[in-house]
Amino acid sequence: MKMTLTMKKRIKKGMKGWLSALPFIMPGLILVAVFIIYPMLFTIKISFSDYRIVTGEITNVGLLNFKNVLFETKDFWYAYRNNFLYALVTVPLIIFGGLIFSYLVNNLKKGQSIFKVGFYLPVITSWVIVSLVFKYMFGNSNTGLMNYLLVDVFHILDEYVPWLYREWTGNGAIWLMGVWKNMGWAMLIFLAALQSIPIELYESASIDGAGLWDKFRFITIAAVKPTIYFVMVNMIIGSFNVFIQVMLLTSGNPNGTTSVLQYLLYNRAFNKFEFGEASAIGLISAVTIVLLTIILNKAFLLDRNGNGE
Amino acid sequence: MKKSLTLLLFMILGLFTMVACTDTTTVPEDITLTFWHTYGDSEEAVLTDTVLPLWAAAHPNITINAVRQDGSQYHEMVVMSFGTGNGPDVARIDISNTASYAEQGGLVALNTFDDFDTVSALYLDGPLSTSLYKGSYYGLPLDTNCKAAVVNMNLLESELGLTEIPATMEEFITAATGRGTFSINVSGVGDWDLYPYFWLFGGSLTNDEFTQATGYLNSAASIASINKLKELNALDIFTIRDIDGTADAWAGIQDTYVMFFEGPWYGFSEDIVAATIPTYNGRSASVVGGENISVFSTSEHPEAAYEFAKFMTSEAVQLAMLTVGQLPILKSLVTSDAVLANPKWSVYMKQLESAQARIPSPNNDEIKTIWSNAMTEIFLNGADVTATLTAAATAMDAELD
Repeated sequence: MKMTLTMKKRIKKGMKGWLSALPFIMPGLILVAVFIIYPMLFTIKISFSDYRIVTGEITNVGLLNFKNVLFETKDFWYAYRNNFLYALVTVPLIIFGGLIFSYLVNNLKKGQSIFKVGFYLPVITSWVIVSLVFKYMFGNSNTGLMNYLLVDVFHILDEYVPWLYREWTGNGAIWLMGVWKNMGWAMLIFLAALQSIPIELYESASIDGAGLWDKFRFITIAAVKPTIYFVMVNMIIGSFNVFIQVMLLTSGNPNGTTSVLQYLLYNRAFNKFEFGEASAIGLISAVTIVLLTIILNKAFLLDRNGNGE
Repeated sequence: MKKSLTLLLFMILGLFTMVACTDTTTVPEDITLTFWHTYGDSEEAVLTDTVLPLWAAAHPNITINAVRQDGSQYHEMVVMSFGTGNGPDVARIDISNTASYAEQGGLVALNTFDDFDTVSALYLDGPLSTSLYKGSYYGLPLDTNCKAAVVNMNLLESELGLTEIPATMEEFITAATGRGTFSINVSGVGDWDLYPYFWLFGGSLTNDEFTQATGYLNSAASIASINKLKELNALDIFTIRDIDGTADAWAGIQDTYVMFFEGPWYGFSEDIVAATIPTYNGRSASVVGGENISVFSTSEHPEAAYEFAKFMTSEAVQLAMLTVGQLPILKSLVTSDAVLANPKWSVYMKQLESAQARIPSPNNDEIKTIWSNAMTEIFLNGADVTATLTAAATAMDAELD
């Protein structure tokens, strides 16, 4: 009897707490439910269905969409490969470049703000505008900057290269743009981490006879390690959201060899009206990202606060 | 007295009701139709300043809300509108998308309207056929175009030694052989780019009913056509920009290319002129482009929308839009003075006689991909022509109804 009373009291107290908190969390909850939870559940449903967009008719087709996506053409595997390659190539470059530049900027006595703004400018510049600039850079014939420099100015190549219409040069342009666009963000995050390192650590290391390299290795790198993990996880997840540069630079050409998952999804939905297959691609991307995040957390032993051990 | 008063009141009420009913039938309800289009600045100016006032004068109770959409994202916007139901009543859409929109149930079959047979008899057969899907017409042809030859007359004379545009491709090829640089350019391997060359050199895609590609796309004539293009490429006569990394057509035509095929929407000059595509083995070829005007299923006023669609294809509107380069789709205007008097329009209207439509199919995008993938394999990766065309024909068969 006493037990029931205590339970009732606890429930009542809990309910009271929830009721008083509800007005504050309700707007957020509603927004999350409408714009994240519902579309997510709807996407999962569509991925197992044939969806007619005008009539809204949804017919269950089981795993057919997944079968079509995975086994009917090579498109998916090219796109999947390219997402991993994008991560493999751009993430180390972004981290390395971001770290180097943040270290250099941090050691500047004057003009830090100018460099910070300069490095961060690509991050806030529109993807569309940057894509168009890269398109001109890698344009055909002598109308493209790269061709003009390599063929007409420095005579390194004999013939013009259709950069964006070749598998590896097209992918290279996409990677280069990713690195250029994201390095400023990594630089700024690293800079914040560097500035949080107590100066006393460097001073005591100097007293102990540590050189520049030792200080960089044992103090700087050690101190920014959790930040490196943070940047890495974000960038790897971001690698599976690559879209605009692919659409504007190569459109997946030639023959889908420069495509990525998000572009494939877009193409299936908007050009082929295959919303079921598009949702299946979205679901596969989501599962891949979740798995990658779990693996990365395990591999780098991230604790609950995101600190690497 | 009371009874009489009640009766009188009922009579007055009845009279008011009758008057109200009469008013509804005689004075049409004011409605607004939303019209989506992707006209450029000059076309939009004619639409706003000339065409819509004509409509307003004839239909004062139907207001047109003309909305100019971004051309590069237009298809996506239409697809989104299908999903949200917030689409236009009537829209100008690309001919190549008509069948796929119809298949999705997004468009109204216009042949269900009583006067469709009379109206459709006024249109050119080619443009009208682009809105045909499974026996129904899902749009009226609004404007048409095709590719014709764009020739640099100076280079024709100085580089090829020809003072006039040759009537045949054989003459052109003979003159261009040995020049040492490309004389003909095409941008890429897509359908709009390469079909005219493929057809010109004898290739065919499907049977006349568009139901089978095997036996056509991989026929001896089609294989020979692709081999001819490969041969011209090897001889440095014909270049595909995306494959060879060569200059864009309009940049190259200034000082390198002698000829390429293009639609009527760019500026020509005294030296760079439009001409009908030279024949090969006695036949010319081109590809039909253009737009249809369609009524959306979500429209609350399909009859009024159809009325507006018909109005946009009327002679007065077609002539007004011709002034800004929209080629007419009316049979009555093909030989009109307005067309014949203009050297550019007359060339394109003449070229339309030998222009073919792309395969009208809801799977148009898949068919385009099959074609461009096959051409990429052949021209970029050096794949075997016969095997590649046979595989492409099999894949295309699966996409044809």
